[in-house]
Amino acid sequence: MKIKKLLNPTMLILLSIFMAGIICHQDEALAGEPSGKVIIFNAGSLTIPLAKMEKQFEAKYPKVDVLREAAGSQKCARKIVDLKKPCDIMASADYKVIDKLLIPNYADWNIRFATNQLVLCYTDKSKYAGEINDKNWYEILRRDGVIWGHSDPNLDPCGYRALMVLQLAERYYSIAGLYDKTIANRPKENIRPKSVELVSLLQTGNMDYAWEYLSVAVQHGLKYILLPGEINLGNYQFDEFYSQAVVKVTGKKPGTFMDMKGGSVTYGVTLVKNAPNAKAAIAFLEYMLNPQGGLKVLKDMGQPPFVPCRVPTESMKASLPEPLKNLVEVKD
Amino acid sequence: MRRELFFWISVSCGIMIMAFIILPLIQLLTSPSLGMLKESIQDSDVMRSIWLSIYTAGAAALISFFLGTPLAYLLARSDFRGKRLVESIIDLPIAIPHPVIGIAILSVAGKNYWIGQILSGLGIRIMGSVTGIITVLTFVGLPFYLNAAKTGFEAISPRLEKVSRSLGASMFSTFFRITFPLAWRSMLIGIIMCSARAISEFGAVVIVAYHPMIAPVMIYERFEAYGLKYSQPVAVWLVSISLLLFLLLRILTLRNRSEI
Repeated sequence: MKIKKLLNPTMLILLSIFMAGIICHQDEALAGEPSGKVIIFNAGSLTIPLAKMEKQFEAKYPKVDVLREAAGSQKCARKIVDLKKPCDIMASADYKVIDKLLIPNYADWNIRFATNQLVLCYTDKSKYAGEINDKNWYEILRRDGVIWGHSDPNLDPCGYRALMVLQLAERYYSIAGLYDKTIANRPKENIRPKSVELVSLLQTGNMDYAWEYLSVAVQHGLKYILLPGEINLGNYQFDEFYSQAVVKVTGKKPGTFMDMKGGSVTYGVTLVKNAPNAKAAIAFLEYMLNPQGGLKVLKDMGQPPFVPCRVPTESMKASLPEPLKNLVEVKD
Repeated sequence: MRRELFFWISVSCGIMIMAFIILPLIQLLTSPSLGMLKESIQDSDVMRSIWLSIYTAGAAALISFFLGTPLAYLLARSDFRGKRLVESIIDLPIAIPHPVIGIAILSVAGKNYWIGQILSGLGIRIMGSVTGIITVLTFVGLPFYLNAAKTGFEAISPRLEKVSRSLGASMFSTFFRITFPLAWRSMLIGIIMCSARAISEFGAVVIVAYHPMIAPVMIYERFEAYGLKYSQPVAVWLVSISLLLFLLLRILTLRNRSEI
C-alpha cells in the first residue's frame, strides 16, 4: 500500500511531462520547421564529409537527427531495392549506380554533385616509401615483398576503378603487359570489401600500398601519389580515353559477368521515392548542394564539387523539388 | 490453483522461446528452392568455403583444447591472488565487439609492432591467410572451452586425485588416469561450444581475412553482390552441415554415457 501511495503522485507527474512533451512536439510539427530523422545511405568515401555536414546541418535545424549508414555504393542500392530498408537520401560514389538500380522505381532524379580521382596511398612505413614517385609507382608495385591491394571490384566502384587505372597506365605509358604483371603481384588475399577498409591495413602496417580516392587519402592523412589526368579518372574531359578501360565484374547471378567501362569518377545523390521524411531530407539536400554549405565541406576535404551541381536534362530539372531547382544547372 | 498458473506461465514462455529460435531458422531453411540448393552445393567455391569454415573452427577448438586444458585445470584446483582477474580476462573476448577484435589482431600483426615484425621475419602472414582466420577463431572460441572444462574439473572431487597421489602416482599420471577419464565429457562439450562459436564468427574474420573466404564471409559477399536469393542457399548449407556435425558429436557423447 505504501508503495502505491508513493507511486501515484510520481506517476502523475511523469504522465503530465509525457503529455506536455507530446503537445510540444505537435506544436513544432505544425510550425513547419523540419524535424525528425533523416536517413542517408552513403558511399564509404563520403563518410567523413557527411559527418561534418551532419554537424553543421543539425546546428541549423536542431530538431532534425541525421542518421548515416555507410557502405559500398552498390550495397546502399541493394538495401533500398532488395531489403526495402527505409531511407530518405542515397549518395553514391558512382552516379551510374543510381541510374541503373534506383531509377525509375525508387527515385526520379539524380544530381551529380562532386568528382574525385584515384591515388595510390601509402605511409612512411611502407616498403620503398622513400623511393616511390609518379614515374616509378607501377614498377614498385611489381617488386617482390610489396603488399598492395584494392577493394572488391564486384562490390565497390573504387575497386574496379583501381583496375581501370592500371589498364589506362599500360596505354598511357605504352608498356605492354603492365596490367598483367602488376596484378600478378597482388594475391586475392589483398582485396577487401570496400576501399576505406584498406586504410586501417595501411595504418597498422599490414599493407604497403592501397588504391583510394584522393578525398579519402586527404581525410585520413595518408601519403599519396598523384597520377596524370589521363589515368586518374578525375577529369571528365578525358572520358573518351577512360572508356578504353574495361573491367569484368560479376553479373546478376554467380558465375555470370558483365563489363564495366571506364569513366570519370562522378558522385550522384537522390531523394528516395516514398522517403519517410521527405521534408527534412529536402532541407538537408538544400544545404548539402549549396556552394557555401555542403559543397564547401567537400572542397575543404580534398574532393572537388561541381559548382553548381548538374542534372542531364531539362525535364529532370523540372522534376526536382522546388528548393533544389536553383542549385543545379542542366549539363551533360 | 497456484501451481497450475505457474505451470502455464512456464509452458507459454517455453513455447515463445522455441518459436523465437526456430521460426526464423525454418523460414531461412525453406525459402531457397531445391534447384537453387542443388546449384549452390555444386558450386566449388561454396563447398570450399564451407569446408574452410569447418576446418578452421575445428583447428581453433583443438588449439583451445591443448593450450586451454592446463589453465582450466589450474583455475579449478587452485586459489591464488588475482584469480578473479585472470577469469575476467578469459571472458573478455566474449564482450568485445567483433570488428574490434579483428582490428586489434591486425594491429599486433602489422609491421608497426614488434610481434608483427617477428612474424614477418618468420614468413608468417596473418592478414588474408588461413593462419589469420584460425588466430581470430581461437581468440573468440577460447573462453567457451576454458569455462566448460573448468566447470568439469571443479565437479571432480580433489580427494580422488589425492588418493592417487598418496599411492605414489605422479601428477601427470594422476591427471591422465583419474582426472581426464572423469572430465573428458565436459571437455568435449567445451570443444563443441568452442567450435560452434568459431564457425559462426563473421565480424572479426572479415577484417582480418576477406579471402580466403569462410562461409559466413561468402554469405555476406553473395548478399552484397547478388542479393538475398543467392546468399540464402549458402546459409542453408552451412547451417545444415554444422547442425549435423554438432548433433553427431552430441549423440556420440550420450551413447558413451550409457555405456559407463
